[in-house]
Amino acid sequence: MNFSFLNPLFLIGISAVALPLIAHLISRKSGVVKKFPAVRFIIASQGDASARSRLKDLLLLLLRACVIVLLVLVFAKPALFSFAPAGSGGPKALGIIVDNSFSMGYGDNFERAREKASELIETLPDGSFGIVAPLVAGEEGRLSPTSGKEALRDQLSEITISNTFTENEARLEEAFSALDGAPGQTKEVVFITDLRKNGWQNEKIERDRLTIIDVSGEAAQANSAVTGIDASYGKDAVTLGLSVSNFSDRPEESLLASLSAGGEELSAYLDIPPGGTVLNEFAIPGEYISGDKTSDKAQDRPSDDARGTFREVTAGIPRDRLAVDDTRYFVLSDSDDFDVLIVDGDPREDARLSETYYLARAAETISEISGAHITVEDNDRFLGEKLSGYDLVFLANVGDITEGSAKELGEFAARGGTAVIFLGERVRASSYNALLKDLLPAELITEVEGEAKIVPAPEPVFPKQIGERLSQVGVRKHIKAVPSPGAEVLLGLEGGDPFMIKKSFGKGSVFLVTSTADTSWNNFSITTVFLPVVKGFLDMPGVANEGRRNFLIGDAIPIDASDEADRIEVRNPAGKRYVIETSPALFDKAYEPGIYTVREGGKDSYKFAVNVDPRESNLEKLGIAPEKPDADITPGLVKVYRDIWRYFLWGAVMLFISEAVARAVFS
Amino acid sequence: MANGILDMETASRLRRFYFRSPSRVRGRKAGIHKSLYKGISPDFLEYKEYNRGDELRQVDWRLYGRHDRLYVKKFEDEVNLAWCILVDSSASMGYGEGGSQKLRYAESLAATLAYLLLRQGDSVGAGAFSGMELSIIPPRAGNSYMTPILEKLESLTPSGGTTLTEPLLKALEVFKQDASFIILSDLLTDESEIEKSLQLLKAAKKDTVIFHVLHEDEIDFGFRGPLEFLDMESEEKVIVDTDAVRDGYRKRIREFTGKLKLLCHEYESRYVLSPTSRPVEESLIEIADK
Repeated sequence: MNFSFLNPLFLIGISAVALPLIAHLISRKSGVVKKFPAVRFIIASQGDASARSRLKDLLLLLLRACVIVLLVLVFAKPALFSFAPAGSGGPKALGIIVDNSFSMGYGDNFERAREKASELIETLPDGSFGIVAPLVAGEEGRLSPTSGKEALRDQLSEITISNTFTENEARLEEAFSALDGAPGQTKEVVFITDLRKNGWQNEKIERDRLTIIDVSGEAAQANSAVTGIDASYGKDAVTLGLSVSNFSDRPEESLLASLSAGGEELSAYLDIPPGGTVLNEFAIPGEYISGDKTSDKAQDRPSDDARGTFREVTAGIPRDRLAVDDTRYFVLSDSDDFDVLIVDGDPREDARLSETYYLARAAETISEISGAHITVEDNDRFLGEKLSGYDLVFLANVGDITEGSAKELGEFAARGGTAVIFLGERVRASSYNALLKDLLPAELITEVEGEAKIVPAPEPVFPKQIGERLSQVGVRKHIKAVPSPGAEVLLGLEGGDPFMIKKSFGKGSVFLVTSTADTSWNNFSITTVFLPVVKGFLDMPGVANEGRRNFLIGDAIPIDASDEADRIEVRNPAGKRYVIETSPALFDKAYEPGIYTVREGGKDSYKFAVNVDPRESNLEKLGIAPEKPDADITPGLVKVYRDIWRYFLWGAVMLFISEAVARAVFS
Repeated sequence: MANGILDMETASRLRRFYFRSPSRVRGRKAGIHKSLYKGISPDFLEYKEYNRGDELRQVDWRLYGRHDRLYVKKFEDEVNLAWCILVDSSASMGYGEGGSQKLRYAESLAATLAYLLLRQGDSVGAGAFSGMELSIIPPRAGNSYMTPILEKLESLTPSGGTTLTEPLLKALEVFKQDASFIILSDLLTDESEIEKSLQLLKAAKKDTVIFHVLHEDEIDFGFRGPLEFLDMESEEKVIVDTDAVRDGYRKRIREFTGKLKLLCHEYESRYVLSPTSRPVEESLIEIADK
């Protein structure tokens, strides 16, 4: 039996129980004083009445107090969860999703969640099917129901705290989908969580047969975290910026923040207001020693740049109840800039009509996260532009391409840069085919008019959420293209023509989109998938990630490997070694925060840092408890009586009537 | 004549009523009361105009023949009487507002009675008692004596406690001759004190009439809700739920008046319950000869 309140703050109203008592005492104390001659007869009569009066007072007081208590309970919305004994009812299909996001590491939340899940498993009727899965997916693959409590217990025992950020709705949907195929009439999902706000796209969960069990027990959980480290490089020193956030409603005073780098131990006492973040800068003197593998770009930098003798930085604050975010790691990067060039082949005076208006807006939005520098140029300037300083180049409806610019683009891609080419009415297929013959992922044929939707590739290359929403994109006109040998069609159109094609070129990549970047030929740029697709270009292997050394847990981390590398090894902070493929060199098992080491040819090549997503450090609780419209779950494993407050309301009404009757009787 | 407390209308309506002592008295002047010396001195005293209640056999028919008016012959066996009217002016008599104040009611009743007694030829003395004190003017006859009596009554203010025995002893000093005692009081004192006083008056062979003056609130106890009561004499305080004690109070006040009635009967005194809501006329008629 589990009893909880959906609006527990209303329970403060219980203190109003004292009101009838106070009113009674006040009425006794401050009654009107009446001079009277025959007081002795009153006193004589009082003895008879006192017992009766006391009984009356007590009864009325009790009734009034009960009325108040019941009304408070009505507003607090009590919810009663009762679990039927094992073996009762028919077989069920039950999904138990245990929140293992890192906020569950707060106090003993995770242990309580496991206990609750264990209880649920034991109460499962014989013959039932179930799934016990973590909220943050690990390597267990697709969820599928299984029978037998032993198997479920095993699934539960394998769940550990994850350090990644969560997407709750998606995971719950996955659990529901998995249960759809399970036998049994009653199918429900129990989500055992701390109900933190993070991880929810919407605060209202519209789903029948979902029971949420809150194990946090506290409305607000105070937490402080190191939420960021960044570096800026001077001639004689590196300045490290340490961001520390206070996710509580009380100020943090004199919080000791320490930073360790290059053998230096620096510390500062920080005062952080409630809900605030303080940035503290530490300057560390040093001279540049390139101990790691360096990129071409790094070699271009002035040699007197004060990149210290150190690479690794560790910062921390005293451990609190959520320890995982109290330490943060940082590795100084060879490449701290990420430059994007957008070439507008059809610029207009009114920027909104320009070919690259939506592309530039998307890139600017992404730059807020990645720190990329965006440059927008017209066709003429592009022809004289050196691309060596850029990581990513977008060409949008660029009509004039010279031999020189084609060569520059080829060299850019060969060095490891990424080019994304959008077509349009200014593009002359013959010119492109001739000048960009080796670079272009496809041969351009001719313009094709007609409505067509995007068809995802058989093997999705974009995340699932993007893939599902690509159907929003409608294309009215495109240039028919025949993919080159070795090119990969990422997205196609109804009718079979390709929409997006990718080709690896040297150390870089070239993407070709067979329609425009603006809305003249399609609505791609004004759909919700445009921004994630543009960002997807950056996240793809080999795309401008060279030199990046700081990642979040769960990121697919591109590994900078030399061309001749035949064996690349990544060692995690715990010392566990992973051998990864060299093409593409991608490490996707960064589950622990800390410093990772990349080894190539048996020697340490470079290091990178992996940290928890600071968003999860905010332990603000979900404001609105999930509503469950249909409380009448078929008898079985879990019943949720959401309407229990109605009984309290009726009780309050009955007691109110009783109080009136009692008053009438006694008077 | 000051008539603030004297209700002349009531007095007029009661003009034909007489207030007689039930005992034979030692009066000297002709009056309406039976003389103790009946038969010993049947001498003619005077003529008196016939009034209702006079015996027809005493009508002098010869005078009627001469003057065409009825006169009765008065002999020495019908004498006048002294009355002692004592008003309780203790603090408890101050309860009530305006005309319903107990003291005011008692004064009015006393003044009207004194007027009627003087008018029937008796001598009247009036006084007030409070605590151990007695303040009294001696008995005299004659309508003109009404003025000092009214002045005396109007000067009373409620204060002090209710004690009966001591003031009565002092009054008996003043009224050594045959006299009837009229006591107007709420009698909110010990029952033993009341009994002792009645015993004393009987021993002194004084005919006694007790007007028990109570306010309507003291009888009905018509209060509502919780109230704090302060006793007007002892200043004792009590907080009660009036609804809860009402029945008990009414029962006790009934028992109290019933017991007083019995005591008065036992000591040959007349008891008249006179709530302030009751017209003075009604209370007086109770002791008048019909």
